[in-house]
Amino acid sequence: MTRIGPRLAVLGVTAAALLFPLVNQNDADIDSAANALAFAALALGLNIVVGFAGLLDLGYAAFFAIGAYAYGVASSWQLQPDWSSLWEPFQWLDLVTRFHTASGDVVHFQVSFWLMLPVAAAIAAFFGVLFGAPTLRLKGDYLAIVTLGFGEIVPIVARNIPAVTNGAMGLNGVAAPRLFGFDFGVDATPYFYVGVALVALLIVISQRLKDSRIGRAWMAIREDEVAAMAMGVDRVRYKLLAFAIGAAFAGATGTFYVAKLQTATPEMFMFPVSVMILVMVVFGGIGSVWGVVIGALLLQILQSWFLEDLSQWLHALGRMVGVAWLQQVELASSIELIFGLILVMMMLYRRQGLIPAARRTLALSLDEQTVQPARAQSGLIATTLANAGAARHGLDISDLTVRFGGLVALQSVELSVPAQSVVAVIGPNGSGKSTLFNAITGLVPTDRGTIRFAGEELGRLPPHRVLERGIARTFQNLRLFPNLTVLENVMIGMHARLATGPVGAVLRLPATRSEEAAARERALQILSFFGNRLLPRAEHPAASLSYANRRRTEIARALAAQPQLLMLDEPTAGMNPAETLELADQIAGLNRLGLTILLIEHKLDVVAMLADKVVVLDHGEKIAEGTPAAVRRDEEVIRAYLGRSAVFA
Amino acid sequence: MSDYGVLLQQVVNGLSLGAMYALLALGFTLVYGILELINFAHFNVFMVSSFVGMWALQLLGISGQSHVLTGMALAGALLFAFAATMLAGGVLGVAIERLSLRPLRGVPGTAAMITTIGVSYILFNIILLTVGAGSENYPNPLPVVRWQFGEVTIELKTLLIWAVATALMLALNLFVNRSRLGKAMRATAQDAEAARMMGVDVDRVVVTAFFLGSALAGAAALIFGLYYNYTSFIIGYTAGLRAFTAAVLGGIGSIPGAMVGGVLIGLIETLGGQLIAVRWTDVIIFSILILVLVFVPTGLFGRAVPTKS
Repeated sequence: MTRIGPRLAVLGVTAAALLFPLVNQNDADIDSAANALAFAALALGLNIVVGFAGLLDLGYAAFFAIGAYAYGVASSWQLQPDWSSLWEPFQWLDLVTRFHTASGDVVHFQVSFWLMLPVAAAIAAFFGVLFGAPTLRLKGDYLAIVTLGFGEIVPIVARNIPAVTNGAMGLNGVAAPRLFGFDFGVDATPYFYVGVALVALLIVISQRLKDSRIGRAWMAIREDEVAAMAMGVDRVRYKLLAFAIGAAFAGATGTFYVAKLQTATPEMFMFPVSVMILVMVVFGGIGSVWGVVIGALLLQILQSWFLEDLSQWLHALGRMVGVAWLQQVELASSIELIFGLILVMMMLYRRQGLIPAARRTLALSLDEQTVQPARAQSGLIATTLANAGAARHGLDISDLTVRFGGLVALQSVELSVPAQSVVAVIGPNGSGKSTLFNAITGLVPTDRGTIRFAGEELGRLPPHRVLERGIARTFQNLRLFPNLTVLENVMIGMHARLATGPVGAVLRLPATRSEEAAARERALQILSFFGNRLLPRAEHPAASLSYANRRRTEIARALAAQPQLLMLDEPTAGMNPAETLELADQIAGLNRLGLTILLIEHKLDVVAMLADKVVVLDHGEKIAEGTPAAVRRDEEVIRAYLGRSAVFA
Repeated sequence: MSDYGVLLQQVVNGLSLGAMYALLALGFTLVYGILELINFAHFNVFMVSSFVGMWALQLLGISGQSHVLTGMALAGALLFAFAATMLAGGVLGVAIERLSLRPLRGVPGTAAMITTIGVSYILFNIILLTVGAGSENYPNPLPVVRWQFGEVTIELKTLLIWAVATALMLALNLFVNRSRLGKAMRATAQDAEAARMMGVDVDRVVVTAFFLGSALAGAAALIFGLYYNYTSFIIGYTAGLRAFTAAVLGGIGSIPGAMVGGVLIGLIETLGGQLIAVRWTDVIIFSILILVLVFVPTGLFGRAVPTKS
């Protein structure tokens, strides 16, 4: 894999950006370019929310407004409270000055632009959290509406409190930034360079977050929220984090934009602006860092340069051929029509955008596809899983009752899974097996009873906490993250075992790098547990796998969480007899390594081969328990379950 | 006029606005009930329809408010205008579904909703580019007749609005609850997959929902023109968001909810404007939108939202 190409491209883009004002000395063009950079920064921020975490935000411009007004108010004459000695410390810090007027001394705010960039980001992030906390548990489309409402409220409030914002007239006389005594003034070039630096910084932050534990957690939530929770991702926390970081980008950009324009009016932040940023993200490629930057720049350049020129050409054409209509066309005013067309066309024909976020993967060679399935060497498996340690604790469930409205899904179930044993749960469809799994892993609330693991009650823990305690599971209907690679799926399983936070991910300190490298290495080792079935496909999207390989990937993902108790919901469903036997053998191997296993399985030969103990559920009640052989002979089991089946005939 | 009288008059005004919002809200709720899709194109189906209504009345030679008709001529003109506007709205809604939304049926996530934003923008700008940015004087053949009840004035147009809205909502209720296709709609809203397996033509149900919802938006659009005596390319956004709030307040997906929610939003708009300040009306309405979604997502009449897991 060569790394030279992308680096050269980045170098080329940087050089072009730095040289642009020297080559093109037209101040209006540089000004347009600086504005375009502001929108590229906004697109990067919205991309974190919409692209990475999958939360559609239709009021994103509200955070832009908050950042803009934060700097605008802190560096203009808008607020002039009477002077008192309380302000003196701020005067020493050079944040305010004392200003003499005829009616007494007043305070003049003059907070530095460079200080306000991070401060405005923090203020916007604060509002992001404040506003996100109650709303982020809503379904996607509801969240979009709530954000739209919030996006409407902020500019209306700005218009309605003229004492702070000067209302619809707009803030006046916002101070230009100064750097080492150089005043930026109204010349566009210094702003352009600040814009380049801002966008470059945000690109680096976006890329690093994306390729980290944080980015994987976001994408897991985007792909399948339930599976993400079950694999240890604290959904509320990571959604809030996405909202806060997205808002912070907008806050800093708001400060930059207002410093450049030296005014702020409520109209700059209304719904059309939120939609425009969304169009840029959709156009460039949802979730693609370079895509959204290029999308934003292209659309801004189209708007400010190209449409003007094109209109002129059309007018000339109209004069030539004598068509009055052509002579009056103003394409610049139809930019929103173009936005609308872009949204519709992209959604219908190219949802991944101009520059898709997902990498293309090479197809396997014929040799790789037709190669004999090989088992991994057991020594390798042992070293991979050894760090999990042998299970010391069993699972004890007593009197577990779960109701869905009037339906009793589980009725006073007693179940104990001794450490390092294999327990199989069987029963007809609808007997409550999957509900049992969901109750243990915190996905459905319990009505009564206790679930104890390692001496701790699990009943009230959210799914990610259950996983942290050492219980990992697979799902009956396969809940992989379909657009992420096999390797990424497995690495999300490690989420709870890794420590990298957002700051670490952005700074990429040696500790973070080595953790990431080790995680990758271990993920590959876990994949090697299934021999050469998954390893050659590690970089393929999970959706492209065969059914059996998807089941294996889910097991690998659960193993990555280093569980003591592994819960498998119909692991061999849809596998042919040979594959079933292979997997049963591998499950037995995991058990020999010290893992406790709780298994739902319909194939009774698999159950007989693996289980130390079988528990039979029917209509939510446990009707039998014992060794596989004893359960086979149980009269009630035969009547309730096996009697209706030909399996044991 | 006493304070009490002013408030009572605002209740009358609020009921008229509310009738319009209810008709518009029904379009959101019908589509959401079946596709779980928030249809932003609906905003500007409403706006485009109001222009169709204007052109229909102009076609009859009516312009401005001074060209008053009475008797059968008035009834015929209104019947023609409502029929044309509702048909145009309905056809536009169906066209949007066929061209831009059907290919996205079954695509997970928010792709369809983003598409409706795009369609809304396209409609908005087509009117802006062809008709222009000014507001148009709406033709209104209704004679100005007022009745005084104590301190409250009720106009002929108010009565007309109430009558039309009530009749249309009764007709919709009859259709949904009594007709074969209405039963298919209710079944699809409960469980599209099961309905399909039971032989319901889901495509036909979706088209019906779009047609009915958009036709009702057409009626609301004509009412808007007759009530305010103007139309413009920008009317879709504010009215649409308020009607959407009405649908959410009533419980999105619920037909009676949309009707009650519409009336409530109409009253909140007029009484809020009277008691607080008009410039804060939108903040009040959007706050209701957010608070309802966050704390009672099922609204007043909504069924429990099925969780997809």
